[in-house]
Amino acid sequence: MSGELDANPFASLTEEELRERFEETDYVADDRTVTTVDLALRLGRPLLVEGPPGSGKTELGKTLAEGFDTELIRLQCYEGLTAENALYEWNYTKQLLAVQADEGTVAGGAATNGDAGAAGGRDREAGAAGAGSVFGEEYLLERPLLRALRNAEGRPPVLLIDEIDRADEEFEAFLLELLSDFQVSIPEYGTVSASTPPIVILTSNRTRGLSDALKRRCLYLHVEPPSFETEYEIVRRKVPELDAAVAAEVCSVVERLREESFLKRPGVAETLDWARAVAALRHDDADEPLAPDVIERTIGCLLKEAEDVSRVDAELLERLHDAASAAAERVE
Amino acid sequence: MASSDGTETETPDFPAARRHLLTELIRFVAVLRRDGVAVPASGTLDAARALAAVGLADERRVEAALRASLLAETADGDAFDEAFPTFWHRLRSGLDRIATAHDGPSPAGDEGADGDDREADDAAPADDSERDDAAEPGLLDDAEPPEMDADGDGDPTVKIPTDRRHVAGDRPTDESREESDGRRYSAVGESALVEADVPTPSSEERAAAGRFVDALSSLPGRRRRRSPTGPAVDARGALRASLQTGGAPIDLPRDAPTPSELRCCLLVDVSGSVLDTVDRSALLALGERVATSARDARVFLFDTDFAEATAAFADPARSPADALRAAEIEWGGGTKIGHALGELRRTAPHAVDRRTVVVVVSDGLDVGDPALFTDGITWLSDRADGVVWLNPLAVSPSFEPASRGMSDAAPYVDGLFGFAAASDLAEAARQIERRGLGGPIGYEHDPRRTGGAPGGGRGRTDDETGTGDAGEGGVV
Repeated sequence: MSGELDANPFASLTEEELRERFEETDYVADDRTVTTVDLALRLGRPLLVEGPPGSGKTELGKTLAEGFDTELIRLQCYEGLTAENALYEWNYTKQLLAVQADEGTVAGGAATNGDAGAAGGRDREAGAAGAGSVFGEEYLLERPLLRALRNAEGRPPVLLIDEIDRADEEFEAFLLELLSDFQVSIPEYGTVSASTPPIVILTSNRTRGLSDALKRRCLYLHVEPPSFETEYEIVRRKVPELDAAVAAEVCSVVERLREESFLKRPGVAETLDWARAVAALRHDDADEPLAPDVIERTIGCLLKEAEDVSRVDAELLERLHDAASAAAERVE
Repeated sequence: MASSDGTETETPDFPAARRHLLTELIRFVAVLRRDGVAVPASGTLDAARALAAVGLADERRVEAALRASLLAETADGDAFDEAFPTFWHRLRSGLDRIATAHDGPSPAGDEGADGDDREADDAAPADDSERDDAAEPGLLDDAEPPEMDADGDGDPTVKIPTDRRHVAGDRPTDESREESDGRRYSAVGESALVEADVPTPSSEERAAAGRFVDALSSLPGRRRRRSPTGPAVDARGALRASLQTGGAPIDLPRDAPTPSELRCCLLVDVSGSVLDTVDRSALLALGERVATSARDARVFLFDTDFAEATAAFADPARSPADALRAAEIEWGGGTKIGHALGELRRTAPHAVDRRTVVVVVSDGLDVGDPALFTDGITWLSDRADGVVWLNPLAVSPSFEPASRGMSDAAPYVDGLFGFAAASDLAEAARQIERRGLGGPIGYEHDPRRTGGAPGGGRGRTDDETGTGDAGEGGVV
């Protein structure tokens, strides 16, 4: 642990610096998020982000990659995801051709892997992975996890393991070694360990509980739907083409909508979609408030369930309209 | 919270601060676990590392750091929110005390000393060379991390150093533990007759006990009497008078409660954990005073047994120590408060009525059935005019009524005071005199606890009401 901490380039990262990076990339984060992310970076720990869909979890990973000007390696989890898909595969076709053309052998031979030491921190098992072997560097297809570990640029990439709750429990268990030691073992090749551990962000929508072993290895951040002020700030930054007053109305309407018991409450992503839709539909010269019929026509941006949409009646529209008209004072 | 090497000569309190932080952190995690939060096994380590990274200056950052490292479920957020303010308060107040302990006389410099050393300690500012082995003021300097029961849902138990000895109660099955430090009290241990080496109460102690009992028995009664300067309008009188003026209330008579002497019922916990922490002579002075001067007073002794001792205390021909001996209570076998209250209700139901103030002397480390205890204390609170609880542990500046017994009892108690020496009785009396039983009274309003009088230290007698006023604001 301590060895990794020493190698951690973020060990002296302050919250102010982090906040600046967020500012630069237009990511609006509350104080708790900043502190938690800062901690995760400084302690070199994976960060498990939970929250309802559309609350900016994935965006956090993208923002970190952009803010630190490094590569974003994204692993989208799904049911049936296997270690091969996530970590590495052998390029069978190439291996087969090599063996047939007598350029390689399954057992190993003369050294052709000149760049052996280049990819940092990698141990070689001399016997198994000799030269001419088809189990060498050039036959290895890197998948996201291996790529994150073998990153040789010196600057740790951001590894975004998205929606880990969709993956099987077997895959979750497989991740444990990776997350605690930042290394994986490839039987024919050796152990690959990261010279600088990547920034790991895991996101979960809580469709199932995660194992304690996984949670234990991560810092935990729960993101809530933002407050009106925060959301207004987000819309202003992400949809600059939208008039400020209308942006306030948009946020106000969304806030009101979240109070209803919909199957799927709109997240920030939906707010941004809707804000863009509203901006696209408006005439340039118009500065009248959001009309109920505009809300009704574009409600599909916010509500993604047929039952939810059918629940939007005249009465609710009226209340949304009221919320929109009240928005102007709130921004003052 | 870096390592402590090399810094000890410069800042002697640095290790103390570190120890304080770790103790509080472990306690906090224990509280979370007790409340059902699934804190990962390595959570405490992570939390300590996280705190080292964010520092302790900013409450918001500390909260975010602990939340990130200790929680793994959204649902646990509520329990965290509930427990965090206490943690933060304890942490900060402890650290502040350590930080300020350099400059002035130690506020608790005479911790553990008896009344006779008081003047000497007050006069001499704390000497730095002595400070190293002196107890850190207000710090649980030798407190051990809380221990959880094997099943993980028991109360977190922390040994709290009090004025006299360490107390570790509320621990049902620890027969097999070693006698590592201090004395441990086992609930299932053997009872033994105590040698009553009780000194006779000094005149000072008698005076303090007298003042306390007088404060109790001169409480405002329920009957009201017409009084031109009374605090409230006599509504009935006003209505009656208005009949003469055709229903218009011309003048509004005022009334005041008639002062009334209340009856007093004293319940003394004679388990070893209590008797080792209170000044026994002060306790006996209190018992004597209640038995002789309060109206219709009854004195009961209890631990796992329950017995009445009014006669022994009231009879001037017998010494108080003999009284305890005569009560034939075997001391030191744990406390069953619920059982004792049940016995009180059964054997002496008339000892407590609506004009009785009940004074309980106990540390609240109940080992009996919690349901029985709750039954008993609610009955007592319903039936009595007031319940005053004197807890020997509450003299510790870091005391919180967190043990199961005390937290169950707290809502039903009108005033919870510390009681280790006679001066504590004087302080309780001062508060009751000024604010009455229904007012904001209790250990938390003790100016000595809130650090108002660093030079005063423990054991300051506060006989003049004048200085009491000054101490009220917590600043002297």
